[in-house]
Amino acid sequence: MADIEIEIDGNVVKAKAGEMLIAVTDREGISVPRFCYHKKLSIAANCRMCLVDVEGAPKPQPACSTPINEGMKVHTQNEKAKASQKAVMEFLLINHPLDCPICDQGGECELQDVAMSYGSDVSRFTEGKRIVANSDIGALIHTDMTRCIHCTRCVRFGSEIGGIMEMGGTGRGEDLKIEPFLKEGITSELSGNMIDVCPVGALTSKPFRYELRTWQMHSVANIARHDLVGSNIFTQTYKGKVKRIVARDNDSVNETWISDRDRFSYEGLAHENRLLKPQIKMDGQWKEVEWDKALEFAVRGLVDNALNTGGGNKLGALTSNTATLEEFHLLQKMLREVGSENIDYRLNVKDLDNVINLESTIKLVELEKVDHSLIIGANLRLEQPMINHRLRKAALAGASIDVINAMSFDFNYRTNSENIVSPGQTVAILAEVLKSILERSCAEIPKYLGKVKIGDVAKCIADELLESNNSVIILGEHAINNPQAASIAKLISEIAQQTGSTTLNVSATSNSMAAEMVNFVPGQGGLNANAMLAADLGAYILLDVYPQYDFHNSVQAIKSLDNKNTFVVSMNSFRDKEVARYSDVMLPIASFYETSGSHINIEGVMQSFAAAVSAPSESKSAWKVLKVLADLLELSGFHYANSEQITGEISNQSHKQKIDNKEINITAKRGVSVIWQKSPYAIDVLSRHATALQATKIGQMHNALMNKATAKKEGIKEGGQYLGVPVIITEKVANNCIFVHANQSTGDKS
Amino acid sequence: MISNKAKKQIDTWIQKYPKGRQSSAVMEALKIVQAENENSLSAEAIAEVADYLDMSSIAAAEVATFYENYNHKPVGKHTIRICHNISCMLNGADDLVFYLEKKLGVKTGQVTKNGLLNVKKVECLGACVGAPMFQIGDTYYENLTEKKIDDIVDKLK
Ligand code: SF4
Ligand code: FES
Ligand code: FES
Repeated sequence: MADIEIEIDGNVVKAKAGEMLIAVTDREGISVPRFCYHKKLSIAANCRMCLVDVEGAPKPQPACSTPINEGMKVHTQNEKAKASQKAVMEFLLINHPLDCPICDQGGECELQDVAMSYGSDVSRFTEGKRIVANSDIGALIHTDMTRCIHCTRCVRFGSEIGGIMEMGGTGRGEDLKIEPFLKEGITSELSGNMIDVCPVGALTSKPFRYELRTWQMHSVANIARHDLVGSNIFTQTYKGKVKRIVARDNDSVNETWISDRDRFSYEGLAHENRLLKPQIKMDGQWKEVEWDKALEFAVRGLVDNALNTGGGNKLGALTSNTATLEEFHLLQKMLREVGSENIDYRLNVKDLDNVINLESTIKLVELEKVDHSLIIGANLRLEQPMINHRLRKAALAGASIDVINAMSFDFNYRTNSENIVSPGQTVAILAEVLKSILERSCAEIPKYLGKVKIGDVAKCIADELLESNNSVIILGEHAINNPQAASIAKLISEIAQQTGSTTLNVSATSNSMAAEMVNFVPGQGGLNANAMLAADLGAYILLDVYPQYDFHNSVQAIKSLDNKNTFVVSMNSFRDKEVARYSDVMLPIASFYETSGSHINIEGVMQSFAAAVSAPSESKSAWKVLKVLADLLELSGFHYANSEQITGEISNQSHKQKIDNKEINITAKRGVSVIWQKSPYAIDVLSRHATALQATKIGQMHNALMNKATAKKEGIKEGGQYLGVPVIITEKVANNCIFVHANQSTGDKS
Repeated sequence: MISNKAKKQIDTWIQKYPKGRQSSAVMEALKIVQAENENSLSAEAIAEVADYLDMSSIAAAEVATFYENYNHKPVGKHTIRICHNISCMLNGADDLVFYLEKKLGVKTGQVTKNGLLNVKKVECLGACVGAPMFQIGDTYYENLTEKKIDDIVDKLK
């Protein structure tokens, strides 16, 4: 990349013509102070802190906005540069309170650091300082606007990265204030990044307020497990507690950003609802016991109720999709050792014979380069914030985005077309798209497409797909319980193949990719989750399952687990009254950041992490518990000293490709369909216990939306309830669809 | 609510900019909407303008609060826009502001009881040569003295 040479402080360095000076000094490790410059944001050049002396220029130049040329001679440390830096520093401190000891940013404040190195020792300013009223911008970010130095990083973050300009600078001159509009507050799913970009203590983390100084904490590199990206983070801990989470740079995964869910979910770890002691149920009463007692009790139960009476077939294992790769692996290995194939993690799928089988064939970084995308059944922004962020970059660069959803969502980029159709119609549109594509390439039309009439919408989408060179088709979570889920996935594969598009399957989130990798699904002769619950098994091992949130039909699931003759071993990180109702043993396990393990992201990349803190009280890492259970069951091959040894044993054993040879069925379903989609902050047990997250607008999403016509048909009124969820009538939802944002499976999810 | 008439006016401004750059019309749009609302802009009005131009409300508010020619509080029939920038300040603008406030019995930013007048401090109006000065409607009044102010203001109806 080196194509020119410039001289900085007497040393010759190589650089690319047109680069900004500050990019070069940063790369060379030469420190130039700055506030407004941020490598991922546009250049504002408004703070003037980065002034350096460029030979030949009469005045000092801002390094952040001075492009370099061949032969340029720059001094970052000479008299002139230093004098200007000192002057700017003094100027910036005029209105800044000098009360670092009571400021939450103290110790990690760019202003404090720069003032130390470049400022003067005493303030010459004797006049009054201005004071700016704070705005309450929500549950996540605390504001101290008197400290703001108007660098506009937060403003630029909103308009450039978050995609909605939420902060702005109102007024002028001395009256300039950085604030949101009215009292609207900040609602972005990426808002926490503003805390990271704010160089001073104007925007700080609300849940972390006045907790600790940064130097008191220990930073552990870690991986967030709430979505399919596995954002890189630092968990910052103090005395064995996670106190804060901040972003860790990784350009191929999350760049420098993380979602609010990844940033603030840690709060749940300290929730009083944690399960801390092993317990066994004797004569219907829960009793706290020692680990060895509990495990013994568990093993005896498993043996008596399943292994000895009907062999492995009588035992089933179910998990949530947040388990680590190692946990998935051990549990399936254990079950298969005892001869059971009753293994499943897909608890939220209604019909497990009708599942989505679609490969993801594009890398995260490549997502920014697509020129077209077709999104089906996803509220990408809230469900997979970092994936949406990449796609947004593509959209800003001109990619056209077509959407087929059951409801109109707020995109933070322009869409080419937003087609709002009821879930029953999705398959029909895709069939039309495929036929249109085949017709135009004069390919043979398969029989099942014979009668399909191509509508205008499908024709437009087909056009876009054919015209683009680099298109990605994204299938989201709303499709998992679509009456034609399997056919939708197949049509997408077919369309992708015909048009040379890539596909991205975001229909199962968290660590589902890990479950697939170790084949955590029933094999030959095994029962899937729904079949198990219908089959009266003798015993279950449940790993961090919370029935009301995880099962597609929680009422049914609870009923069948709560059977006198079924022995249930539950391993949970949090207490849950339904779990207590149906379990016979409850084993407390470590939650996020308390155990080592691995996450598999959508690219299939494995990211392993160490435990940042130890599990609280008597709880233990699930992999250790599973290992001991296996030992007690006298199974061989479970001698692990640490989780890395388990990881080393795992190879990709996904059998996904083989199972499927059913015909594509394109009959549209008539009548009303319901989509159940939990609030994005309710998808796993940790987020559900994170108080600040739950207090945000997104956390409060708890409603059933439908249009007037559907409401009338179903006899539902605005302000009424739909299966226990408040109803909102809006024309944003497709006809014949009820879109339920529910934190809880309230009834039969049809 | 932005009236249809105002929308039509705004549309002619939108057309002057390339497609997709409709937000460039924000200054004119705010002006048009302000004229329709007794010469002041409420937060709701700003939000509506932003909506109409498909931009974020805070971005429109940035513009609306930057320029002095937008009002955010009710104003009188006439606004006395008195300059308090350097040249005028050196020539006694502050005293004149004080005089005006006393004379009218209102502070800057308030409207006289009869709804006729309000005083607003503004930045340099480019008439430094006749400092101190103020502007009422489209007319500049320069080389002001207390006496001259009496003559001008007392005639306002
Ligand atoms: S709040 Fe922070 S990030 Fe935003 S402008 Fe002020 S100092 Fe910069
Ligand atoms: S960093 Fe260069 S002007 Fe702010
Ligand atoms: S300073 Fe008052 S008109 Fe210029």
